[in-house]
Amino acid sequence: MNGKLPISERVQRAADFLRDHFSSLPEFGIILGTGSGVLAERIQSEHQIDYQQIPNFPVSTAIGHAGSMVCGSLEQQPVIAMNGRFHLYEGHPLDDATIAIRVMHELGVKYLFITNASGGVNPKFKSGDIMLIDSHIDLMCRTSAGTSVPVAHGRPGMRADQYDREMAELSRSCARQNDFVLHTGVYGGLLGPNYETRAEYRMLRRIGADVAGMSTVPEVNLAAKLGLRILGLSVVTNVAKPDVLSETTGQEVIDAAELAAPRVYEIVRTVIQHFAA
Amino acid sequence: MLDLFDKISESTAYIKEQWNQTPKAGIILGTGLGSLVEQIDVAAAIDYANIPNFPKSTATSHKGRLVCGTLNGLPVMAMEGRLHMYEGYPLKEITLPVRVMKAMGADLLVVSNACGGLNPNYRSGDIMMIEDQINLMGDNPLIGINDDRLGPRFPDMCEPYTLSLVDRALAIGRKEDMVVHKGVFVAVAGPNLETRAEYRFLRLIGADVVGMSTVPEVIVAVHSGMRVVGFSVITDMCLADALEPANVEEIIRIAGEAEPRLTKLVMGVLSEES
Repeated sequence: MNGKLPISERVQRAADFLRDHFSSLPEFGIILGTGSGVLAERIQSEHQIDYQQIPNFPVSTAIGHAGSMVCGSLEQQPVIAMNGRFHLYEGHPLDDATIAIRVMHELGVKYLFITNASGGVNPKFKSGDIMLIDSHIDLMCRTSAGTSVPVAHGRPGMRADQYDREMAELSRSCARQNDFVLHTGVYGGLLGPNYETRAEYRMLRRIGADVAGMSTVPEVNLAAKLGLRILGLSVVTNVAKPDVLSETTGQEVIDAAELAAPRVYEIVRTVIQHFAA
Repeated sequence: MLDLFDKISESTAYIKEQWNQTPKAGIILGTGLGSLVEQIDVAAAIDYANIPNFPKSTATSHKGRLVCGTLNGLPVMAMEGRLHMYEGYPLKEITLPVRVMKAMGADLLVVSNACGGLNPNYRSGDIMMIEDQINLMGDNPLIGINDDRLGPRFPDMCEPYTLSLVDRALAIGRKEDMVVHKGVFVAVAGPNLETRAEYRFLRLIGADVVGMSTVPEVIVAVHSGMRVVGFSVITDMCLADALEPANVEEIIRIAGEAEPRLTKLVMGVLSEES
């Protein structure tokens, strides 16, 4: 990690390094979270590069996240995909946690697909359901003031929660055609790393969140400023029942991810197909 | 982050030189509640300043000593003087003593604090057993690379405060004929007291009392696998639509008045530990 270089320089160097791994540059960027296993398998990978090998990239510490950048294609379109992401609870500063978004933008990515696993707060949700993120609530308490966004590309003053409406509509239509449940709702972003208390789940419900998680918000806030079109898909791995004491089990999370994975793939595939040049 | 383990070992080794017993419980004494210490048969009292890696307390009415000894025959370690986020300490430093208590062998954390009452059914001077908590401090002591020797990456928080101990305290309250509530504690960073709008907000999200401490220590205690029992003394009522300016002398007076009752309650809860 070369923290001393300005962020723009670090982005430039990482992008220059990655550019050589593409025969034609990607317009589609993907962040592979929990529940995107099938999607990851279907990307025809030309190069899979460990984060350690990318100049000035932070190193992922999360369990179950491999930490590599996939350069490949999906639906005959060049894509760049993050296999393993950087979370604020790992201690990464905001600029490090979101550096891949800047790098993708630098490489020419226009469409960003973000997937994550979340805890359901909305009692109508079921484990294994997918929720299209319509908006988010930032409870992560990490301000982006002072982080520079290249204004030439950016749209300063734009709303941060700019999830793309056309991509959302395409996703909903895909879910109807394939006959599976796709909710639309609000993602509550928390710092973590502890899971929420029952009182915190009740709070999230009252303030309007449908699911809660520890990622996505920093990436989306930056990507929106950079003018990327964003689709956010959240896999509900367990539904919190604050009035009944219950512990979250790892198996529950894995089962939900397996149920959702082919559906996440179907949505991303469909949307990419639509925008393919 | 991984140097935390070594820091804990270093602090623990120093304390063991002064007091080589295994505590059953670690106790953190909050504002104006320090006189529980008088009930302890003190074997060693160590200034924080002398303990390697311990930060120094700056708050008014707080000393900064670690008191080791027996409370009603039960070996305990008590922090006389606690550290707050608003004093500028990183949460990892504030919570280090809890890690040390665990390393010394304590499997129960007893926390107390003074807080503002949001639930209109409470009265100034009442005691509330903390049943659950909301972290609005904007920070978390577990951020960074997780050291698996200390606890899991994602600790479950479905029961941060041991509910059987809450029930035990409520039973003692009934037997001793004193008001003891149970409710939700919300922690904010402070140090300014909340605005009326913020009090309404905190009530709306489900909090019964508000304070500027406790939550970081409890997160770390849960992370390290300790049971927790938490006592809040409501030192002033924060009713947004009938709010009066806070008076620090009054707050300390009320905390002082609650002291004998709190002491009785803590002793009662601990008397059933062995």
